[in-house]
Amino acid sequence: MMQTQTRRQVVNAFIFLGPASAFLLVLLVAPIIVDLVVAFTDMSQTVRIDEYTTDQFRKIIRPNEEALLGFELRGSFYRALAKTAIFVFFTLAIFNVTFGLLLALTTTALPDWLGGTFRAIWLLPRMSPSVVYALLWIWVIDPTERGLVNQVLTNVFGSEPVNLFLQHPMAVIVVANGFIGASIGMLILTSAIRSIPQHLFFAARADGAGPLSIARHIIMPALRWPLSYITVFQSLALMVSFEYIFLIMGPARSTMTMAMLAYTKTLAPQIGSGQYAYGAAITLILIVIGVVVALLLYRLTNMKRLLAKPRIEVH
Amino acid sequence: MAQIELRSVSKHWGPTVAVDGMNLALENGEFVAILGPSGCGKSTTLFLLAGIYAPTSGDICFDGARINDVEPRDRNVGIVFQSYALYPNMTVLKNLLFPLRFTSVKSEEALRQAKAIAELVQIEELLERHPSQLSGGQQQRVALARALIKKPNLLLLDEPLSNLDATLRLTMRGEIKRIQRELRVTTILVTHDQVEATTMADRIICMNAGRVEQIGTPENLYRKPDRTFVATFVGSPPINLIDGHVRNGSFAVGQKRIPLSGSCRDADVTLGLRPELISVAETGLPSEITNIEPMGREILYTAQSEIGLFRFLEATPQPRMALEDRVRLHANPEDALFFEQETGSRIEGLSLAAFS
Ligand SMILES: Nc1ncnc2c1ncn2[C@@H]1O[C@H](COP(=O)(O)OP(=O)(O)OP(=O)(O)O)[C@@H](O)[C@H]1O
Ligand SMILES: [Mg+2]
Repeated sequence: MMQTQTRRQVVNAFIFLGPASAFLLVLLVAPIIVDLVVAFTDMSQTVRIDEYTTDQFRKIIRPNEEALLGFELRGSFYRALAKTAIFVFFTLAIFNVTFGLLLALTTTALPDWLGGTFRAIWLLPRMSPSVVYALLWIWVIDPTERGLVNQVLTNVFGSEPVNLFLQHPMAVIVVANGFIGASIGMLILTSAIRSIPQHLFFAARADGAGPLSIARHIIMPALRWPLSYITVFQSLALMVSFEYIFLIMGPARSTMTMAMLAYTKTLAPQIGSGQYAYGAAITLILIVIGVVVALLLYRLTNMKRLLAKPRIEVH
Repeated sequence: MAQIELRSVSKHWGPTVAVDGMNLALENGEFVAILGPSGCGKSTTLFLLAGIYAPTSGDICFDGARINDVEPRDRNVGIVFQSYALYPNMTVLKNLLFPLRFTSVKSEEALRQAKAIAELVQIEELLERHPSQLSGGQQQRVALARALIKKPNLLLLDEPLSNLDATLRLTMRGEIKRIQRELRVTTILVTHDQVEATTMADRIICMNAGRVEQIGTPENLYRKPDRTFVATFVGSPPINLIDGHVRNGSFAVGQKRIPLSGSCRDADVTLGLRPELISVAETGLPSEITNIEPMGREILYTAQSEIGLFRFLEATPQPRMALEDRVRLHANPEDALFFEQETGSRIEGLSLAAFS
């Protein structure tokens, strides 16, 4: 009797956890292991492993005298590191968090139908296919008079057309990614604001609080957890995201973040690809940085305490 | 301390009518209870008074001045919500200080006032705790203190005792009454517990479906209910109601005729008689016991008479009668109330001439 029950439990565990575990294994664990192995080889265009080596990391840290490109590789790695930091920080700080928060605060303060309409508009870029979205941006910042920005500049302000691709490449990818990232922040924060009991707002109003005080004393405390969540998870997501950067900027040096570098050095259909071991090494470093950043932010935002405590009083 | 007046105030939510043409006048320092079934518009009435909702039509006046468009913060109303609505991220002390942030009170003075009000509701030891670390009764006191700290003109209590156990409820009833008397603040207590309403309030407003059915003292609502709804809602066990007709100065049910005292044209009426006012005697209405329910100190009997079912109470520890016993029910004929069936209104001056 007991035995059949425990067997039942084991079988149930397999049935329920099996698919998810298989998914994790095939799509997450296996690639990480492959990456870990390849990073310590010399695999390149031929996709053959001749020897196991730490050469790839050495290339990054100090100039490689043997290879002609050695110095260049090192330089591009550090540049990619800096660009990733700039890209992640500004996209997150300006759009995903700040703009997402502003959108959530304003759209929940508006009447329902109006707020809903605004949110729907902000969700459009996320719902449209990424290629379409990227094409739209390419048209917006087109350096000729055809581009939207330049049309406005020349027709409305009468100034010279600008080439944002060349002049402000980082700003372009921050804004393009930010418009999408903001909608995620907006959605999470909106639902968090919605889940604040209505009576708390009533109480605050009866106690004499105006809209700003309500935002500061009632809404913001309830958003601490979702804000930490957005910060941690969006910074990780942005760190490895290259989809829009690649679609809008192509393999341009000016926007070569770590993820872009790993991609162009390995799989991108462009000159310079096929350096699998080098790309794997960069990816491995990216994974390590991701883990460290996640743990740091976890500590910084005190997520453990937030996870443990009831976030909103329920009676 | 304010004198409050509602002049045909209505609140609609689309097709839903939450409050329907409400008229009400409260004296300075008065304690009234709003009593009514769930969904009858009690909370909505409070929120209208607090300024959280704006009335669809009608006027709300404080001390004679129309305040329909005055913001909640300028009304100086203290409100205790059914859920208490304490700010979860603030300590008890911060909760108490919150209303004072928006006044000109200096921080030292504010702290002194918070301590004083905490003492009044006996939560001095809890000031550093968060609401999640308090029991229901403690939360309720904090909510009360937060509502009182501004020295409000009007105190609104939305079913503040509904989450408490029976003993605590009894103590808190007394506490609230004591504090109200001490501060002499005009107070409205919302409840659907009639014992709470009758024990605490000077006057009771009985509401049903957004309308005021009757306003009066507890005694008044019990003895002279204006309408069938009030008669059934106030009093426990509920009043006995028997449908019949007025025919030539008699109350007629089937073939049975009971003479009436007072005059009334022929109509369909309902007889109302409180269970507490019926007893078993040598003479009276012949009946047969059909049900016996011990209720602790009292026993509730149900008896079938010629004109219908009557429930009555006897304060004996053990049942004195058994099922199917034939008894005679006695009541003072002038205690009988009559309501018009069509309108539900009580017919003034009409009662029975005999009860047999
Ligand atoms: N925000 C709202 N939107 C739509 N309808 C509402 C709203 N608030 C209340 N109502 C409706 O108005 C009516 C009165 O509601 P109210 O909350 O005043 O009832 P109540 O007497 O306090 O009931 P309870 O004893 O259950 O608290 C109900 O029918 C309710 O469904
Ligand atoms: Mg209510």
